[in-house]
Amino acid sequence: MVFSSILFLFRFFPAAMLIYFISPKKWKNGVIFLLSLFFYSWGEPKYFPIMIASVLVDYFVSLGIDRYWRNKTICRWLLACSMVFNLGMLGFFKYTGFFVENINALLGLSLRAPRVTLPIGISFYTFQTMSYSIDVYRGKVKAERNIIDFAAFVTLFPQLIAGPIVRYSDISRELKDRSVDLDQISEGISTFIMGLGKKVLIANNIGALWTEVSETLGFSRISTPLAWMGVAAFTLQIYFDFSGYSQMAIGLGKMMGFTFPQNFDFPYVSKSFTEFWRRWHMTLGSWFREYLYFPLGGSRVDSPMRLYFNLFVVWFCTGFWHGASWNFILWGLFFLVFLILEKSFLLPHLNRGKVWPHVYVLFFLLVSWAIFAVTDLSQLGALLQRMFSPAAGMDWMYYLRNYAVTFVVAILFSTPLPWRLYSRVKDNAAVSLACMGAVLAASVAYLVDASYNPFLYFRF
Amino acid sequence: MIEKWKALLKRPLIWLFALFILGFTLWDLLLPPREFSDMENRMLQQKPALTLKSLMAGGEQAYSRKYEKYINDQFVLRDGWISLKSRAESLLAKIENNNVAYGRDGYLFEKVFSVDEENLASNIQYMEEFLDKYPDLPVTFSIIPNAYAILTDKTPPGFSAVSVDQNQRIEELYDHMRAADPDLKLLPLSQILSAHREEALYYRTDHHWTTYGAYLAYGEYVRSLGMEPVDYQSLERHEVKDFYGTFDAKAKRAGTQPDTIVWYDIPCRVEVNQEPVESLNDLSRFEVRDKYSGLMHGNKALTVLHSQCNQYRREGNISRVLVVKDSYGNSFAPYLCYNFDEVYVVDLRYLGKFSAVLTDMDLSFDDVLILYNFMNFVTDTNIPKLRY
Repeated sequence: MVFSSILFLFRFFPAAMLIYFISPKKWKNGVIFLLSLFFYSWGEPKYFPIMIASVLVDYFVSLGIDRYWRNKTICRWLLACSMVFNLGMLGFFKYTGFFVENINALLGLSLRAPRVTLPIGISFYTFQTMSYSIDVYRGKVKAERNIIDFAAFVTLFPQLIAGPIVRYSDISRELKDRSVDLDQISEGISTFIMGLGKKVLIANNIGALWTEVSETLGFSRISTPLAWMGVAAFTLQIYFDFSGYSQMAIGLGKMMGFTFPQNFDFPYVSKSFTEFWRRWHMTLGSWFREYLYFPLGGSRVDSPMRLYFNLFVVWFCTGFWHGASWNFILWGLFFLVFLILEKSFLLPHLNRGKVWPHVYVLFFLLVSWAIFAVTDLSQLGALLQRMFSPAAGMDWMYYLRNYAVTFVVAILFSTPLPWRLYSRVKDNAAVSLACMGAVLAASVAYLVDASYNPFLYFRF
Repeated sequence: MIEKWKALLKRPLIWLFALFILGFTLWDLLLPPREFSDMENRMLQQKPALTLKSLMAGGEQAYSRKYEKYINDQFVLRDGWISLKSRAESLLAKIENNNVAYGRDGYLFEKVFSVDEENLASNIQYMEEFLDKYPDLPVTFSIIPNAYAILTDKTPPGFSAVSVDQNQRIEELYDHMRAADPDLKLLPLSQILSAHREEALYYRTDHHWTTYGAYLAYGEYVRSLGMEPVDYQSLERHEVKDFYGTFDAKAKRAGTQPDTIVWYDIPCRVEVNQEPVESLNDLSRFEVRDKYSGLMHGNKALTVLHSQCNQYRREGNISRVLVVKDSYGNSFAPYLCYNFDEVYVVDLRYLGKFSAVLTDMDLSFDDVLILYNFMNFVTDTNIPKLRY
């Protein structure tokens, strides 16, 4: 189930909230667990056992680590169990097809890849549970003894399928004892509505252009201006889609008394890629820093070669995490190049510059999203060719007329400007109510007459 | 407790949001489901049955998918929400909604991005096999272009650059058919329609041509057979107002001006699927939303018009024409009563075997006209029935 649907808004959500709020405090985590299982199983009931297994493995591994705390060998083996299980699941469900295909291509075999559909959100919750076991191993958090509380953490439906990647340490206190006051609920509601608006009103609207360019028209037919417009549309779509979804999650969490970490901080106003990755999908970036980059030695290493190697591993994995195909790896390494350039000499210049750093970031960002958006490499080649070798045509006129206002709105809302304006007037109850009401009603209208409502991060 | 309520009242967002969500949820739960949406001109999804099989099914057949569609289709005030969305689209200065573009003078046009080449190739193949099977049969083949290919001055700028060039595709199709069977008569329509593009050839809110557009094509057809069409002015004209067509059902644009369907009383006796019916058109259908389906009683397997007004009537001889058509033909076929004694009209989508009409009835036809709209000919999957 996704938040941006009539089914969620007018069936699951009211029912879940009613049950949650009338349950006595000591049952609340159990209620969260059951509601989340229903939420997760909706549409994919067959993956229900995976979720349960995920809960059980990391629960018992961590209990074991806690118990044999003094025996590091046992602890190491237990941690290895958790890693093998989590990465194994991810590997099996997400990457089997990719590996089989590449082995076939390499060795000229024709092995059959098993056809498995990706369990929803597996990339997110395997990372979450893994970080928990690692934290227990490192002694950063105490192992959770109450299996219901732990199950509630793993399955917690607001953040289950698309993040933010909430670590156990982020909410361990709130799991045990949380209170929610009216101000929090009110804030949660407005956060949720804004996220819904970002997703339904902006991402879906601008995303329709990219879908039309990439799927309906095809890259071989379009003119160069339209190719760039399409990529710009995808650039805006993926930001509003994902950040909107994260914001809905944060809002829902807040209504239930949880404080999830922020996930986006206006990434498109960055002046360097170093800055961009501090503002984009922040919980993923910090996960890789904490559990991959630092253990490798981070930047505190003796030789620059070792540093580049560490960066290479991190960005290879970041790219690969986004999907099982070469373009995602390419996408990760694309950033690696710029990050190394910035680390070695460019960053101070970028920080001093005024306009050109934005041009630099936006230009290469568009190219990076083109690489990200097209999984088929020959198609990607066709798109890049359209973008960089001029092709004439009048098709862009139609789309420019159709999407001009949408572009302006989306670009504006990807900067802090309109949000700052809103925060100035939001204390005026009438104004903020009118804004919220308009966004909510318009979102429902777009959901009812939904000819186009994909969710990009669903396949991760 | 009272303090709590007071605190709640101070935060109107909470109770207004709760009221909105709960109010619509309860209202929606209490509302009986609708079968059909007049506004969208389609059947609505009903509550799916919950079985183990449907629960485990994937894709469109999955229980969850169907249930979500059901919730969406049956959502309270659905028509109102749809209008609200269309207004919001106008606010964003969009020039389309649900793939239907807003042209000049209130014309709506559906974007056609590509042609299903595979299906088109098979349909051409079936046509050729049909022609091979009946080498002595006089056949005319004609393809009707969609409105956007003719009314080029009404489409939004750049529209033609994103849509399939139908005039060229039809030309290519004719060239191919001409080479495949030199005896086949081809009836181009683009030119005559383009010459009259200032007149109402197509509905503004629907994908069909008007009865006037059909009249022009009828004139071309009978002239190609060495006859003259009936004088348009002499026909007894009737009007059905407030016709909102299929494009309107998709675009649902605020302030759309409805179309008027013009129809004519053409003297003839009518049989639909071998049952006699009262009149040429189904007047009761003119009262509902889908008014176009009133013309010639909508799409039927076999409709026979026994003319009472044939200008070319010869004693002792019964002239006969057979029209194989899609819904565009329903505006077209009745005019043929002025040139033939009997007009047989076949819709392959509803007919089992074409030979049931063509040979089994043991009739001789002066001409067989195969008349399809371009998009219908490209997508239709019933053309193979021509061969059986």
